[in-house]
Amino acid sequence: MTFLAVVARGLIRRPVRTGLTLVGISIGIAAVVALVGMSRGFVASWAAGMKSRGTDIVVHNMRTSLTPKPFPAAARDRIVNLPGVNATCGILVELISIESSEIMIVSAREWGGFSWENLKLLSGRLPSDASERAVILGRTAAEVLTKKVGDTLQIETEEFAVVGIVDGGAVVEDGSVILALPLLQKIMGNEGMINAIDVRVTRGMSETEIQRLCAEINRLIPEARAQVAGEHVRASQGYRMINAMSWGTSLLAVLVGVLGVMNTMLMTVFERKQEICILLAIGWKRSRIVRMILWESAMLGLLGGIVGVALGVAGVSVMKNTPAIRGLLEPELSVGLMLTSVGIAVVVGVVSGLYPAWRSSRLTPSLALQG
Amino acid sequence: MSGDPSPRSASPAASVFEAVGLKKEFDAGQVQALRGVDFRVAQGEFVAVIGPSGCGKTTLLQMLGALDRPSAGSLSYRGKSLPDLPDPAAYRAHEIGFIFQAFHLLPTFTAEENVQIPMFESDRPFGERRERARELLKAVGLEKRFHHFPAKLSGGERQRVAIARSLANGPSVLLADEPTGNLDSENAGTILELLARVQREQNMTLILVTHDMTVARRASRAIQMKDGRIVFDGDPANLSLSSPT
Repeated sequence: MTFLAVVARGLIRRPVRTGLTLVGISIGIAAVVALVGMSRGFVASWAAGMKSRGTDIVVHNMRTSLTPKPFPAAARDRIVNLPGVNATCGILVELISIESSEIMIVSAREWGGFSWENLKLLSGRLPSDASERAVILGRTAAEVLTKKVGDTLQIETEEFAVVGIVDGGAVVEDGSVILALPLLQKIMGNEGMINAIDVRVTRGMSETEIQRLCAEINRLIPEARAQVAGEHVRASQGYRMINAMSWGTSLLAVLVGVLGVMNTMLMTVFERKQEICILLAIGWKRSRIVRMILWESAMLGLLGGIVGVALGVAGVSVMKNTPAIRGLLEPELSVGLMLTSVGIAVVVGVVSGLYPAWRSSRLTPSLALQG
Repeated sequence: MSGDPSPRSASPAASVFEAVGLKKEFDAGQVQALRGVDFRVAQGEFVAVIGPSGCGKTTLLQMLGALDRPSAGSLSYRGKSLPDLPDPAAYRAHEIGFIFQAFHLLPTFTAEENVQIPMFESDRPFGERRERARELLKAVGLEKRFHHFPAKLSGGERQRVAIARSLANGPSVLLADEPTGNLDSENAGTILELLARVQREQNMTLILVTHDMTVARRASRAIQMKDGRIVFDGDPANLSLSSPT
């Protein structure tokens, strides 16, 4: 029999209580995995969308919100001839409710811009010109909105013909309603305004050169900010707030887990008071008793972490298919996030076991002779 | 006994325990469990400590096992002051074997595992711990009960597991607190024979606390206590006349 077997035996002596405690930790860890995975997925999905469009730099003004604030489309003219700028495309992107969908990405693009190039038609056609009252739908957007080519789609008060379904090559592109820039500018009352400029740089530019180009763009367009595609979402205060809320909510759930484990371990120490006294009486050192309690709580944490990660992954796969989220993001469930979550659970276990372990170390072995 | 291959050499003069003016008070002196106890116990002695409930015999056992500290007086083990031991746990693990009235086996561990428990404080590797536990269980006649949990054992069998556990780290002293108190007379006789055999074969010092005169008479020496004092110390054959129990 190994010491670890002694520890495991301590846990299985009360299987129901151990199971309920595991559920408590698991829910906390599942919350960490799900919420953090979703918020990280938001950034990764936008980055993938940019990559799919062939965008290297995004010029935007996204300080306090998830969608950038509008600025004059003419700003584009200041950078179009900069050395290193291969192509530009003015964008107006909004997150709005459309028909049955509570939130949908609506991406309006400058007619003829490169951001149209990588869309692969699955059915129908692209709009014939910038003035045609037509939209194309990413394939996920079409599923969410239950639309096909030939149907009509109402955006705010305007009605448009669905002329094509496309594969955008990324979750965000697939989840978007795409149309020509002037149409959305009119709907949103933002004539002459865009809220992003997609910039494609000259092939072969190094990261340093791209950063230098960003600095130059920032100088020329002070009302917006140029950043490497994908980074612009991560740097936004809106994302930071979501990320902080994700961690905050997760840590709250983890705190509940801590209290659950501590309660269980305290009960264990109280219930096994005489057993611990006997172990002390037959020669176990107090440090070994403390180790036993801490190992038990750490093992509870480890098991809770593993179950929690599994629950989190299952939960995320359910959530990402809900209408409210589908097409907006692909959760990022990296191995790193899973290992971090299990690590948090083990730390939760050890921290929760500290007080019960201290209590156990204060028991006097003479109680063994009184039972 | 096959459980411990190295019986200690007899040296009757060597004092294992020596108590001088030993006192123990509880509740700020309101309860005086030991009121100045003096005795010496030599290596290889089988001493029965007898007396009625509350006479201080269990308190004395706690002192001998370094489970508690005296309020006054001195108590030494092989010349070293017990209250001043730097590592009482190591003393309990390696020098002392405890046997309790209620057996105190751990219910979620098999007989073999219960015997292995004290060996975690020794340097024995996993395989050696298991072999040692099996040897000890065979020595107490439980070779067919290795994998039985305490709940599946009779009272006598449980106490035999407890005896095997007490011998796990090869102690030189066994301290037994009413070891037959929860057993019927037949099982009690078997356990006493087993304890006497272990003590004899390994030249161990056995200090057995009991309130039962017939149990005490099996010892080579009896210490009778009353109200925290020793009232008789001598041949158990002479106990009957002076017994206050």
